[in-house]
Amino acid sequence: MSDSSFMALTLRGFARAFSKALLSERTAALPGFLQSFDPRVRVLGLFSLVLAAILCRKMTVVAILFLLATTMALASCVSLASLAKRVWIVVLAFTGIIALPALFVTPGDIIFRLPLLSLPVSAQGLQTAGLLLMRVETAVTLTTALVLCTPWTHILKALRSLHLPAEVVTMLAMTHRYVFLLIETANQMFESRQSRTVGLVTGPEKRKMTARTAGVLLSKSIDLSHEVYLAMVSRGFHGEIRLLTDFHLRARDYAMLMAFMLASGLAVWMGR
Amino acid sequence: MPRVFDIQEIAFDYEGIPAICGLSLQVEQGERIALVGANGSGKSTLLRILDALYFPGSGSISFHESPLTQNRFHQDGDFFLNFRRRVALVFQNPDVQLFNPTVFDEVAYGPLQLRWSKEDIVRRVGETLESMAISHLKDRPPYRLSGGEKKRVALASVLVLDPEVLLLDEPTSTLDPRSQSQLIDLIQQWRGTAKTVITATHQLELVEDIADRVIVLESGRIIAAGTPPEILANSELLLKANLIHAHRHSHDGIMHSHPHSHRHGHHEHEP
Amino acid sequence: MSSILPLPPRDTGMHIPDGYLSPSTCAVLYALAASGWYAALRRVKRAFLTRVIPLISVFAAFSFVVMMFNVPLPGGTTGHAVGVTVATIVLGPWGSILAVSLALTIQALFFGDGGITTLGANCFNMAIVGSFAAYGAYRLLTARSATGSRRKVWAAAVAGYLAINVSALVAAVEFGIQPSLFHDASGSPLYAPYPLHIAIPAMMIGHLTFAGLAEAAISAGLIAYLQKADPSLLRGSARLAPGIAGATVIPVGHPPERRLWLTVAVLMVCTPLGVLAVGSAWGEWSAADFSNPATRASMAQASGNQAPPAAVPGGLHRLSTLWTAPFPGYAPRFIRSAGFGYLLSAMFGVGVLAVVALLAQIAGRRKGRTPLL
Repeated sequence: MSDSSFMALTLRGFARAFSKALLSERTAALPGFLQSFDPRVRVLGLFSLVLAAILCRKMTVVAILFLLATTMALASCVSLASLAKRVWIVVLAFTGIIALPALFVTPGDIIFRLPLLSLPVSAQGLQTAGLLLMRVETAVTLTTALVLCTPWTHILKALRSLHLPAEVVTMLAMTHRYVFLLIETANQMFESRQSRTVGLVTGPEKRKMTARTAGVLLSKSIDLSHEVYLAMVSRGFHGEIRLLTDFHLRARDYAMLMAFMLASGLAVWMGR
Repeated sequence: MPRVFDIQEIAFDYEGIPAICGLSLQVEQGERIALVGANGSGKSTLLRILDALYFPGSGSISFHESPLTQNRFHQDGDFFLNFRRRVALVFQNPDVQLFNPTVFDEVAYGPLQLRWSKEDIVRRVGETLESMAISHLKDRPPYRLSGGEKKRVALASVLVLDPEVLLLDEPTSTLDPRSQSQLIDLIQQWRGTAKTVITATHQLELVEDIADRVIVLESGRIIAAGTPPEILANSELLLKANLIHAHRHSHDGIMHSHPHSHRHGHHEHEP
Repeated sequence: MSSILPLPPRDTGMHIPDGYLSPSTCAVLYALAASGWYAALRRVKRAFLTRVIPLISVFAAFSFVVMMFNVPLPGGTTGHAVGVTVATIVLGPWGSILAVSLALTIQALFFGDGGITTLGANCFNMAIVGSFAAYGAYRLLTARSATGSRRKVWAAAVAGYLAINVSALVAAVEFGIQPSLFHDASGSPLYAPYPLHIAIPAMMIGHLTFAGLAEAAISAGLIAYLQKADPSLLRGSARLAPGIAGATVIPVGHPPERRLWLTVAVLMVCTPLGVLAVGSAWGEWSAADFSNPATRASMAQASGNQAPPAAVPGGLHRLSTLWTAPFPGYAPRFIRSAGFGYLLSAMFGVGVLAVVALLAQIAGRRKGRTPLL
């Protein structure tokens, strides 16, 4: 691996984070299916479907949930290409590799043997690998649909009205906000160092540089937190946390919530 | 004119290092003051003391004859909220001031802390966003704003409370020329009103436009005070305060050096 | 490889996705995590008062970004650190629990890195277990050493390495118990498909090598940097919360606690020795031992060559049917190596004790002790 390619990898990671945020902002503004419902309904409904996918014991039912998730995502202006690239292929690469040995290792009734290596594939192995993969794909499709169609602040406010403590919600909001500032800062630091790494050859030197960047970022973060505190106090913060929520449930929101609950319940029952 | 701030011989240490020493200052209502000094001269610190974010180790500071002490702020909730509404500070780094998830939330933050009703908040925030021409940004997160937009949101977030005193810390640093001039226009609007504006800056070219009184700081002390023309003409003073420099440059093809600042394009040749 | 396949924002190391753990496992771990979060929030609020929100949030953002760094490792590879060690050293274990949990939540919810049903598990493994492991190791190794000493640097490395591997071990156990506890009628596992004797080595190999080294490298490097550039961050909470009247400072060297940690660690490690003891401990016999000729012989030997009674003593028989310990014979059936079973049971026991102690503290509302631990 060349001298600065570890930095290039990190920089690419940063760029991906920004592109995800941008895609989410754009998609949430589009007039799609999910976007038309109250954020609380979206959060509760999609979480309940994830739970259903986990509770289900039958691969076929999970597959139906997967199709449902995909249909909702597509109806909410999420492109098939986005889903495939950001969700399905990634999960396949990660969980697929993990699940693969299960085909051969799980004890049970052998269905066939792989021609070259004569590895036995059991029915149970097939079942377990398939179920695992299907579950993960379904769950990630559902959460991705939620996050792409809903602004982060709405997700947090929905969680707040579902009784997550105000401090936790505020901290999640502030953490999210400053993640992007710190990514930008780290981005600048790495980019400026990238042009100066001609001399960096040894592992220890590269590690030292990485740690030093993290160190500078840490000092800046602590200083930033002090300033933010002063800014908060300056505008009247005195320990109480107050949030402004503006959600109204209409008839169609209730109907959609019922639909979500019914679908989840049905899936769990059918897949028991 | 009622006296807004009365500071008597204050001293302040930041983590053991003296930042302000033996400073006294009186501010009348409606004044527009420019605090000038190089970086590290104590301008920001003084502004924070004025905003009761830091409290001096010795000496006293009072606001409309009410002493500003840490105890008072901790114990008297009404006084705390009252002060926070009437005195506002715009930080130099807007990212510090924009800690809420969206622009709307940011501008609504002050009124929320002051326990306004929801209807009042929504109405007032809408008005303020309109007046700063940033209504189209109301649902944007701060990391998707440009420097100029951030500054406008920061201003909006304090103006929403209609404060009596505005403390501005290097308001035009990091701004492009157009945003800078818009900001200066805004500050000039307040001339003759009851608003008291104290601006900390090291950019001398702004001083004439935004202030009637100039106070020069150096190493945490006031070394001079006067009207803008008086102060700006005093090159020796400005050089001492590290506000102007004297590097070699040329006029009409002749290389020389004398004290100058790069304001309004530097064409005059002073012997 | 990343040009062909779109990789997730970071290589998903220990972040368990949805579907790998059963709902009941998730529920238990969520409960454990929630009690940890609750305890942490209370302590951190007491220590930092109104500064909690900006301090922990911004630190969480920092942790998030550090998790994205590709740390160059020996052999030309890179790994990702979790940053739990630095968080623990600077904020204390409770602050670290909150900051790292916040970062993990944003990773899971916003970036899809880690599941939402498994968020409790991930926070428990990395933020809670990780913080305490790092804290215990770091304090043990740096007791009574000066702020600027070299010892702090390699202690941070060791603490980081240990913390990651302990987290990985806990995660591996969570995976490994899935197949035997949750399978369908035909025997196929419903969640994570590998039993303990595969899950543990598989998880540990990746972490003993890459993730552990990455954490060690970042932790050591950061401490070394801070010693020169910003040493006040290593000296306790005064730097984190300036201006708070009576801001408490993390105590340096606290002998009674250190002895406790040490004793527990030694006991944990020694439990496999129990396997080596010849025969069974006197008195710890089950009802079945009375009818088995082999054990009868060892009972006689242990009791000074007196033959045991022919029938099971009445009282023992009645009591033995009352309670079947979750780990009968101290080792769950599906573990091959008895020694490892002992170690797991011991760790489980310690974990239960720790949780009970935590809950007791919350209930008793102990005041007046140093807030950071």
